[in-house]
Amino acid sequence: MKIIIDGRECSARRGEYLLDVARREGVYIPTLCHLDALPGQSCCRMCIVEVKEGGRSKTVASCVYPVKDGIEVITNSDKIQRIRKTLVKLLYASSPQGKHMEDLLERYGPLPESRFEADEGEKCMLCGLCVRACEKLGAGAISIINRGTAKEVAPPFKEPPEACIGCGSCAHVCPSGAIEMKEEGGIRTIWDKDFELLQCTCCGRYIMTPEQYEHLKAKDPESEVVLLCEVCKRKKSADGFRDAFQNITFKNIAHP
Amino acid sequence: MGIFRSRPKRTVLVCCGTGCLANGSLEVYRELEKMVKGAGYPMKVKAAAKATGCNGLCEMGPIVKILPDDIFYCRVRVSDVEEIVRETLAGGRVVERLLYTDPAAGKKVRSHKETAFYKNQLKIALRNIGEIDPENIDDYIQRGGYRALEKALSKMKPENVIAEMEKSGLRGRGGAGFPTGRKWRHCAASDDTPRYVLCNGDEGDPGAFMDRSIMEGDPHSIIEGMVIGAYAVGSRQGFIYIRDEYSLALKNMSAAIRQAKEQGFLGESIMGSGFGFDLSIVRGGGAFVCGESSALMASIEGRVGEPRAKYIHATERGLWDKPTVLNNVETWANVPVIIDRGSDWFSSIGTGGSKGTKVFSLVGKVQNTGLIEVPMGISLRKIIFDIGGGIPGGKAFKAVQTGGPSGGCIPGSMLDLKVDFESLSGAGSMMGSGGMIVMDEDTCMVEVARYYTGFLAEESCGKCLPCREGLRRMLGILNDICAGRGRKEDVDTLLEICEALREASLCGLGKTAPNPVETTLRYFREEYLEHIRDKRCRAGVCPALTQYYIEGSLCRGCGLCAKNCPAGAITGKPGDKYTIDPDLCIKCGRCRQVCKFGAVSIGGGAAV
Repeated sequence: MKIIIDGRECSARRGEYLLDVARREGVYIPTLCHLDALPGQSCCRMCIVEVKEGGRSKTVASCVYPVKDGIEVITNSDKIQRIRKTLVKLLYASSPQGKHMEDLLERYGPLPESRFEADEGEKCMLCGLCVRACEKLGAGAISIINRGTAKEVAPPFKEPPEACIGCGSCAHVCPSGAIEMKEEGGIRTIWDKDFELLQCTCCGRYIMTPEQYEHLKAKDPESEVVLLCEVCKRKKSADGFRDAFQNITFKNIAHP
Repeated sequence: MGIFRSRPKRTVLVCCGTGCLANGSLEVYRELEKMVKGAGYPMKVKAAAKATGCNGLCEMGPIVKILPDDIFYCRVRVSDVEEIVRETLAGGRVVERLLYTDPAAGKKVRSHKETAFYKNQLKIALRNIGEIDPENIDDYIQRGGYRALEKALSKMKPENVIAEMEKSGLRGRGGAGFPTGRKWRHCAASDDTPRYVLCNGDEGDPGAFMDRSIMEGDPHSIIEGMVIGAYAVGSRQGFIYIRDEYSLALKNMSAAIRQAKEQGFLGESIMGSGFGFDLSIVRGGGAFVCGESSALMASIEGRVGEPRAKYIHATERGLWDKPTVLNNVETWANVPVIIDRGSDWFSSIGTGGSKGTKVFSLVGKVQNTGLIEVPMGISLRKIIFDIGGGIPGGKAFKAVQTGGPSGGCIPGSMLDLKVDFESLSGAGSMMGSGGMIVMDEDTCMVEVARYYTGFLAEESCGKCLPCREGLRRMLGILNDICAGRGRKEDVDTLLEICEALREASLCGLGKTAPNPVETTLRYFREEYLEHIRDKRCRAGVCPALTQYYIEGSLCRGCGLCAKNCPAGAITGKPGDKYTIDPDLCIKCGRCRQVCKFGAVSIGGGAAV
């Protein structure tokens, strides 16, 4: 199907989301809560665009809007720019120290003096990606608790979570740098819980927690979980390739 | 023929709706039942007592109706029961003092049908409430209940049922007003199965109790509607989502489902048609946002009640990602009547775009608070002044808030507005589920906006940024304005956040949340400016912006104000002029209420 984004005709497939089409076409739409691996959060609302369909115009969140044939999309009208700026102001007041603010301030700043009292020191913008990541990996150690303005990300009873395997995925996906993860002397600390780290059997680098190792093994009992760091893993596969190619003779391959 | 027809039995109907129950109607009912059964007085006609659902005129409760004589008693106490039994049931005489005095005519009326309150109403969704015992399926059947279901199952194809609903023009009564027939058609057209049929009974608007009254007073009308809907879209399983605080609704709905199963109106091969459908109740935890369709479905699925994007309709992917029809209680209650009496009859009522009737809970500063059902297109003036009986205490009308907490406030200049979906949204408000709160001159419109914004901020699920943070910051600004800390740029900031909320929020709660602020700014902007610029609240509601003082020229020195002042802030000698010490005054307004000479006035507060 054909759709028009900012005056340009683009092709799209049924079932695709507008944001994905726009990105493929090189059109910039800001997002905070969107990750290709964990799509559909749709809570930061920065990705709003105007869609004209059948003579009517509406504001939609492009990350979850399925494209329809013939729609016309405007990604940065005055209205959209104005609303995004309001959202940035609201965000700045509620998570001023979040890492996500750095890019935003560069693009939308400098902001006028805020009317609101800022939540000083707050980093989290409640996008919920950490919770999704944890859930998807099968640990489900943290969740979003409470409702509305009292909402926060926390482990059950705000105690070091029993179900946490210390994989650090939550901290890894967090766009705000709000989840603290420390590693010191072979100990990883996250969610107030200490994990001993296992070493790479090849180079001795600290790689994962025993809980994570067990979790991976339990998840797929068929495959072998190797205790290697990323670098050594790559080296090992390269060695594997070399060995494989050494045994190949090229006489059967006809040259042009 | 007719020779052996039994003599008509006299029935005493005691209203046991929410309002009457709170006024002690259950005790009245028990006493009546006891006396009727005991029959201390010889009765020519046998009488039976029945507890019914809400009659609507809650202001005058407890209400007792006697049929077939059509006598309407109000504010009945336990001590009146003996007299009713002796005079009316045994003696055939009317107890004059218990009759309703119609304020318009100023005289007692015998039947409720003669009152302005009932005369101007048209009951479709509420047709049986107040007339039947909700716990008795036979009462429902006697009034034509399950006749429409029989007609649908035996004489109509699912396709015909959908066509009939489309032709009727019925639109969802839950808030959005989506055409019901079109919704059913979408669902029926899906090739996916199973399909689900849901009823939204999560009524959460402050002051609204129409869905509750239907679930409590006429549960079978909902069940019948849902079975017809299920037949039309090809569903075999339905759920009724009821908020857990509604204990009587839960009890009556559960009993009704049980009875309907026993009588073969639910279950396998309903009425021998071969079509099977089952219905269960899901209890909601009382979160306002769970009345939003996608949050409601998430809640039924056992997940946190948070909305999701609805660009793909529930009729395609709803409950457990399966095709789902969700309608609210009032919508379902309309369905059997439409099938029974036909779409032509139904669509003859109402306006071009809004057919049929709408139930409103009429509350606030209005004489006849209660539950009413009126044809679409009736004017606000007629609702408030004819049915509602006007504003009590000789006060002036100021605004009416329609559509629940995220509705808007409509000013006096628009009282002739015809009430339907289009005109209410055109005025910046909405139909919503039918809350209607009347406000008089003593209402501060900034405080009203602050109250509703506070409610919505509290009830926002917090998933999306504009709703969570926008409402919180708007509330902060409104708190400031009401406390005398408003800044001159605040109105613009409010409007800026309103736009972000309306355009960028994820669900209907956020999208409509700016209505209270936007409409009060549209129609009562001057009051905001007075609060901000002059530090004055003209209604005398915001304590920080209110100064009470006594007009020397009007004060007669009676001392009533000083006697009533809880803070001891008023001094003076009888016969002399009294004065208020502003430092001691707690601004409760009691002095102004009690002064018989209108000598207590409100002025602006000191700048904070």
